[in-house]
Amino acid sequence: MGAKIMDAKIFVVAAAAFLLGVAHAFAGAPEPSGLWTGPMHGETPATLAGATVIDVAEAAGLKAEGALLIDVAEAPPKPPGASSDMPWLPVHMSIPGAVWLAGGGFGAGSPAFQRRFAARLADLTGGDKKKPVVAFCHPRCWGSWNAAKRLVLLGYGKVYWFPGGVEAWEDKYAAAPVKPDKAWAQGDR
Amino acid sequence: MTTRLATAFLGLCALGFIAPAFAQSAENSPDSPAARESRWQELEKAIFHGRTATPSSGVVTLEAPNRAEDAALVPMTVTLKSADKVKALWLIIDDNPMPVAAHIVFGPAADPREMKFRVRVNDFTNVHAVAQLQNGALVSDAAFVKASGGCSAPMGQSEADALEGIGEIRLKLAGPAQPGVPVEAKLMLRHPNFNGMQMNQLTRLYTPARYIDKVTVRDGDTIVFDMNSGISLAANPVLSFGLVPRSLGRLTVEVSDSSNTHWRKDFDILRMTD
Repeated sequence: MGAKIMDAKIFVVAAAAFLLGVAHAFAGAPEPSGLWTGPMHGETPATLAGATVIDVAEAAGLKAEGALLIDVAEAPPKPPGASSDMPWLPVHMSIPGAVWLAGGGFGAGSPAFQRRFAARLADLTGGDKKKPVVAFCHPRCWGSWNAAKRLVLLGYGKVYWFPGGVEAWEDKYAAAPVKPDKAWAQGDR
Repeated sequence: MTTRLATAFLGLCALGFIAPAFAQSAENSPDSPAARESRWQELEKAIFHGRTATPSSGVVTLEAPNRAEDAALVPMTVTLKSADKVKALWLIIDDNPMPVAAHIVFGPAADPREMKFRVRVNDFTNVHAVAQLQNGALVSDAAFVKASGGCSAPMGQSEADALEGIGEIRLKLAGPAQPGVPVEAKLMLRHPNFNGMQMNQLTRLYTPARYIDKVTVRDGDTIVFDMNSGISLAANPVLSFGLVPRSLGRLTVEVSDSSNTHWRKDFDILRMTD
């Protein structure tokens, strides 16, 4: 009973918070001059210099035109001490056809991480810096902002940042389970 | 406080562990029978090393709510028809990141007719109860459960409060225990079963995973059951099971968690009054 009351409270607060969050989103955090190295989850800017900020309809349009979609959401952390009797097999829902570069939006990456990101993107775009690339993760996720920023810094000409991410997509279209990109092993940061 | 909660909640959304909470409607659901079947095949490979479970034809029956009221506390009942033929039981929440909620191996003092669990459900998912028969064959029953956010649901209390009384073991019998007569028992464990996906609402950091990974119940030297469990079990797990008391009726419950802490309690079940 107590738990139920608590749940109800949390729900009301969450609903209020959601509206509050929506109101906040119009203001947005200021754009950092380079990559963002603070906490990865929080208020993001409304803009990204050198890239185009898009909504779900535009994301769908770009997908239909064959743009490269990169999802940089982080994989949930594997709990320590799990025995082989308890396999760890998280399902990641994303935009169908997206390439999941888990944690690819890490801001303070080592030189090895930066090279890995640049090399994987060069592969995925076939070396074509004019190919449209859409970066996304989840709402209020700096990862996709960083990934898009990094693409701009790498000289990509058609970079799109989709801040609504998987949730905005799921609101309108079907998401699909997506496996981690094999050539992008999460490791070097 | 409101703002902090708000921020925490939005943070959770941002991480997407509770992705479809706002969004998903039946019409645009990504779920297709084919996708569910392929997930199950992947799980069979990982859990049973390629062996497949056949539909149970009534040997094992899984009862689960079609739509869960509280995704962090979903009751499930597994009924086993030919109790003497069942060696082991798995409860598997297909789409949870750690799908095996419990793997139970019954011992000679078990009466494996019915087991009740409380689990977390992260997303709309199939749930499977798989029984292993004495001849090694696997039989299963499945149910579809609509719930989401069970893994990231905030605790509604502080970490310190959640940890208070950790390891407390309580046992209740459905009736007076007599040697050789099957009786139902309810085991109640106090443990937050942190799954690593719950955000501390004040610090906005994730509470590290810490969960019960092993429970052994025996009567004297005779095993009732051994259970391996994972983060899919609800906080403060409650487990109902059947046992056949031995002549001395001295039940020992041993519990250990992923941080290698052990607890033990003995119950003089022939003399228990409620």
